Formats: sequence, structure tokens, C-alpha cells
Amino acid sequence: MTGKNHILRKGLTRRGFLKGVAGAAAMAAGCGRAPADPTHGMRTRNGQKALVVAFDGLDPVLVRQWMDEGRLPNLAKLKQTGGFTELGTSIPPQSPVAWSNFITGMDSGGHGIFDFIHRDPKTYLPYLSTTKAETPTKFWRVGRYVLPRDGGKMELLRRGKAWWEHLAEANVPATVFCVPSNFPPVAGPFRTLSGMGTPDLLGGYGSFSHFAEQPPPVNPDKEVTGGVVVKVEVAQGVVEAVLTGPKNTYVKVEEGQAAPDAEQPFRVYVDRNSDAAVLEMNGERTVLRVGQWTDWVVVNFTMVPGVVAVNGMVRFLLQSAAPAFALHVSPINIDPRDPAMTISTPPTYSRELAEARGGPYHTQGIPEDTKALSSGMVNNKEFLEQATTVLEERIDLYRYELSRFRDGCLFFYFSSSDQQAHTFWRTMDHEHPAYRAEFDEPYTNTLRDLYERLDGLLGEAMAKLDDKTTLLVMSDHGFAPYYQSFHLSSWLLDNGYVKLKDPSDRKSEFLANVNWFGTKAYTLGINGLYLNLAGRERSGVVGAGDADRLLDEISKRLLEVRDPANGRAVISQVYKSSKVYHGPYVKDAPDLIIGYARGYRGSWETALGKFPDGGLLRPNDDAWSGDHCMAAEEVPGVIFANRPIKLAKPSLVDVPVTILELFGLPRPKEMQGKNILTGI
Amino acid sequence: MFGPKVKLDKDLYERVRKFAAIAGYSSIEEFVGHVLEKELAAIGEGDSEEEIKKKLKGLGYIS
Repeated sequence: MTGKNHILRKGLTRRGFLKGVAGAAAMAAGCGRAPADPTHGMRTRNGQKALVVAFDGLDPVLVRQWMDEGRLPNLAKLKQTGGFTELGTSIPPQSPVAWSNFITGMDSGGHGIFDFIHRDPKTYLPYLSTTKAETPTKFWRVGRYVLPRDGGKMELLRRGKAWWEHLAEANVPATVFCVPSNFPPVAGPFRTLSGMGTPDLLGGYGSFSHFAEQPPPVNPDKEVTGGVVVKVEVAQGVVEAVLTGPKNTYVKVEEGQAAPDAEQPFRVYVDRNSDAAVLEMNGERTVLRVGQWTDWVVVNFTMVPGVVAVNGMVRFLLQSAAPAFALHVSPINIDPRDPAMTISTPPTYSRELAEARGGPYHTQGIPEDTKALSSGMVNNKEFLEQATTVLEERIDLYRYELSRFRDGCLFFYFSSSDQQAHTFWRTMDHEHPAYRAEFDEPYTNTLRDLYERLDGLLGEAMAKLDDKTTLLVMSDHGFAPYYQSFHLSSWLLDNGYVKLKDPSDRKSEFLANVNWFGTKAYTLGINGLYLNLAGRERSGVVGAGDADRLLDEISKRLLEVRDPANGRAVISQVYKSSKVYHGPYVKDAPDLIIGYARGYRGSWETALGKFPDGGLLRPNDDAWSGDHCMAAEEVPGVIFANRPIKLAKPSLVDVPVTILELFGLPRPKEMQGKNILTGI
Repeated sequence: MFGPKVKLDKDLYERVRKFAAIAGYSSIEEFVGHVLEKELAAIGEGDSEEEIKKKLKGLGYIS
């Protein structure tokens, strides 16, 4: 089995789009038949079953508090009759890293994922850590179009064998719903839907579109990111606009020129007197009412007329018809009924799920549109409605999978506990710099209400368990307030570890202004710090003999950094990757992993390779107000079981060992963990 | 350096040499290599720098 997966039909970018002709036939052949059962004929030999329910970011401090208040009766029952403890998270506690630990039973040295963002030492440029796109290499040129002769690929960069691959080899059926760090999904005889890491149709983490007669004024200190804002006019009650799609790399362009964007035109008839409008697109009409999200609407991007088109789907929110028109459009999700890329195993599984719930569902890896909230394009109410839709869709699919769970292992993942903790932490923490009473007070209990709802969902599963089923409930990390941003990049500059080409330019992104000849260490991503190492980095200046001493020096000085407002340490742990990671990919790791103290995090600017001035700490006034990219010891996750937990201080790498041993499988030698239920 | 050699116009070479020194590159080869890598990225060998930046900024963890 392999982590590589051919795109079955239409792709995303040059690497995505220029690839699908042969695959299209395969996809077409797969459509219209009854969904294949990849686990047909499999049977668990020892009669055991395992249900693993994952709530991303479920926090032990909040869980204990709300269990004590009697708000989480099902978790409390599990604690009483089985077991509950904290679950050690990954270093750093970022979801792609943490879930890769869970998937493979290895730390980052074994699976190669160290951060959301990695860097190429030969270019110092960043890339998304979990997935790489490869271009096709041969083309036909037809008129103004370029058609691929061989398929490009999306490649999963997470290494190591997934625990469900081990199960399949032992004939144990498995269904794995939306586990992060599994896009494109590993192929094999099991059901999987890819989760975090699955792109929107533009190929990124999600890009909204916002059409407004009077767009908000541009704030030079807070650039709108994660979407586009388009000014439109209402002429005689009609708005003519275009939804921008992926690059049309089927069109032949001069070398060095960017491919044009594919476009989906639409028209909106605005009735200013009734707070309503009618959207017209592809000959279909949809009624829009102010304040109401529409259901999914299919969008269609023509690449080569009559030959290649790419479908996606969006939801519209008419925010205002009068006095000024404003229409928000969600990121363009891959349509699970007709996926532009492979998002499930088998490929028909995504469609089967849509049929089971009677409609499509969010497929974007991080489906909650947090960027629209952070940039002020949607308000608390509008965001919560969107996030609740994500949850409702997941609940439908959870009930569907529970209803047919009769053998083997079912893993089911909920993102809501993570994304709503990121965005609504400020509403329950009135000391938070981002708290605005006039807007946020009604949402004080949003996160608590969500935990109660998730507990209720767990109760539904518990009611169906038989005595052969082991239930594990887990999270990958916990949560903490994100009060202050620390400019690690600027600290490196101030302390002489970085040299800039132009000292007056501190705003260039992605380290573009760094004078590498004078730079000893740099940071890119959320928790990683790299030496500018000779022989590894393109312009490395630090010799291997000096590396350890320099790392020790930087670590010591970082641990001495204090918040001038309260004297507290900003950084509580600095991990040397050579000490905390094990396996063949340690060589690719950042040299140091920065573990921030509770309340602190690496700044947005640091993650993007800028060097802001005006102080090393800045209050975080963004709606993204809770976080977990801190020291692993600050934000452990949780593990509950319907059987006693015997392992002291379990961690993520112990969970897959536990699952495999439930089915009587031997422990793979590369797995680093122990069995949580036996303690061995 | 014993790799392949590329001929440059004398004036261009002089400008490259001066700029590489001003910009802090350790050698002319390093500067030329950097520029060529950026250009190759822009014309489709993998995601372009702009595409990567756009994609990264859709991540909630980065503003």
C-alpha cells in the first residue's frame, strides 16, 4: 500500500488539473453502481469490536470542571465505570503532528510531520507539511489548451504505516472517518474519508469570497487573509459577479505567465424592500434571505468547453440587501458526490455518505470558516451557524456509521471541539484581550454548550455498546488561552542570530529580506526553530561542530525571556529535536521546538517569516483566541475508556498499540507505545 | 565549484557581482542560484511561491 494516490478526475492547480483524462474514465466507471464494500468477507477472529470517538482539542481542565458540575453525564459515567486520564500529546501539540503520532504509533522522527508548515532548506521557502502536489510530465497541445498525457499526483507526506492498514492485513474491518493527516487517503480495503489536510477546490486550507457594495475599509495593520473581498455594484436591482475558481492550467500560456483563474459567473436580483434576493447561476435559481445560509449550491468551472469541467459546492449567506448589499460565500468545497480529487477510500465512499444523509457535507479538511470570522467578514452568530452546520452534518454521518457498526473498528472524528475552542475562548474568558462584551457576552457558554452536546452524542453510542465492544474517547491535545503573541523572529534578530539585507524592511514575508550569509538561526512555522546549518541549508553558515553549543545557548536564553507586564516566563520548554524524536526523519526536523507557556504563542508574523518591531510581545485581539501550539506539558489531551486504564501517563502513541492488541494483533516493532488497557 | 558553467555578458556579470555583494550573498553562484530557483518555482515546477503563500494564509493558525 502506498501514501500516493492518483487523482481520479479533475484536479486543482497545474499539478491538480493537468492530470485527469485517463482517471476520469475510472471515476465515471465507479459512478452509478452500488457502493462497494471494501471490507466484504472480513471478520474479526476474536469477536472483539473497538469504537474510538475523537473530539479534537477536548480539554481535560474544561472536562473536569463541567463533569464536576454534572454537565457531562456520559463522560462522568465512563470515568466512574471505566477509566479517565490525561493523554500526553505530541511535540509540538499541533493537530497534524498529534494525529500522525496516533496514526502511526511513532513520534515525528518516525512519521516526518513536525509542524503545519515545513521549510525547504535549499530555498528557505515554506510548504504545507502533509501533502505535496506533483505535476504531470507529458502533454498534448490542442489549440489554446494543454491536455495531460500522464496523471499528476497528490502525495501524502506523512510516513509510516497507519494502524488500520495493520488491521486490514489481519482481516479486521475498519472505518476511519476524517482523521487528520490522511490526505490523499491511504489506499486499501477499508473505509476512510480524509480529514484535516483535505484542500478546498482552490487547493488551500479554505478561501472565502465576500461580495459587498460597501466593503469594509482596508486596515493596513490587519490584512484580510484567507479569502477575497470584491466590491460590486447594484445596477437596477441586479448584481453581476464572478466566483473565482482554481487556476485553469488547461489553457496554454506563455512561459513564466500564470494560468488564468477559472470563473463561475452569477447574478443576484436584489429586493431591497423585502431583505431577500434571488441568485441565478448555471440556469438555476436560489432564494437568498438576509441572515440565512443557503444549503449547498453546486458551482461549475469550465476548463475546456465540452471536455473538462470541475464541480465544487458553496453556501451563500446574504448578509444585507439594504442599504448596502453584502453577500458572503463559503470556501469552495470538493463535492463528495462527484469529487474533483480522491477524498475517500474506496473513492465511492464519499458519495455513499452523501446519499446516506440525503445531501452533501463539508469536505474541506478544516471545515469551520474561522478566517471569515477573524477578518470580520462574518460575525459571531453567522460563524456559529456555519460551524453548527458542520457539526450537524457530522452527527448525521456518525449516526449512520454507528447504525451499521457490527464488527471490527470504527473511528469517528469531530472537529467542532477544536475549532470552536479556537474561536470562542474569548467569549468565556472575559480577561482575554479579544473579549468585547457588547458582541461576545451572549456567547459566554457556547463552548460549554458544545461540550454538553458532544457528551450527548457519546451517550447515543454508549447505549448501543455490547459487552464485546471497547470504547475509547480521546482528544489529540487540550486547550489554553492565547493572550499574547511572541515575535520569536524579532527576538532572533534583536539577539544577533538573524541579519537582514535591508534593516529598515521588517515586513517582507517568508524570510525574503534575510541576509543568509550573516544568519545563524531562523524560524518559520508555528513552533520550529532552525539553525542555518552548513551542508543542509543552501547558504548555511553554522558548522556541525558549533551546532550543539549554539542550540544550548539559544535554548537557555529563550527560557529566560520574561513578559514585562507580569514577570512570567513566555517559554516553558525548549525541546532539542535530536533528543525528543526517534526515527529516520529526525534529520528533517527543526533543530529546536519552542514550547510556549500557557497564554503565549508564536506570533502570526513569526509563522510567516516577518520581523515586526515595537516590542517582542503583542496582545492577541483576534477572534482566534484559544490555542494549543504551546509546550506539550501545558495542553495534554484526554482519554476515556469503558474499561480500566492501567497505563500510567499514556500518550498518543499508545492508542494504536491498544487498538491493535484488542484484536489480538502483534505490536509492530516500529510502534513506540504501550497498551493503555493492560499497562504493558 | 566544478559544476556546469554558464556564460554571462560582461556588463551583466558585473551588475550581478555588485548586487550579490550589496545584498549579502556569500557568492555570485549563491545569488544566481537563488534567482533561478525562484524563477523555476514561478513557472510551474511545484507550487509557485505566491500559490504557497496564498494556501498557507487560509490556515486559521496564521493570520
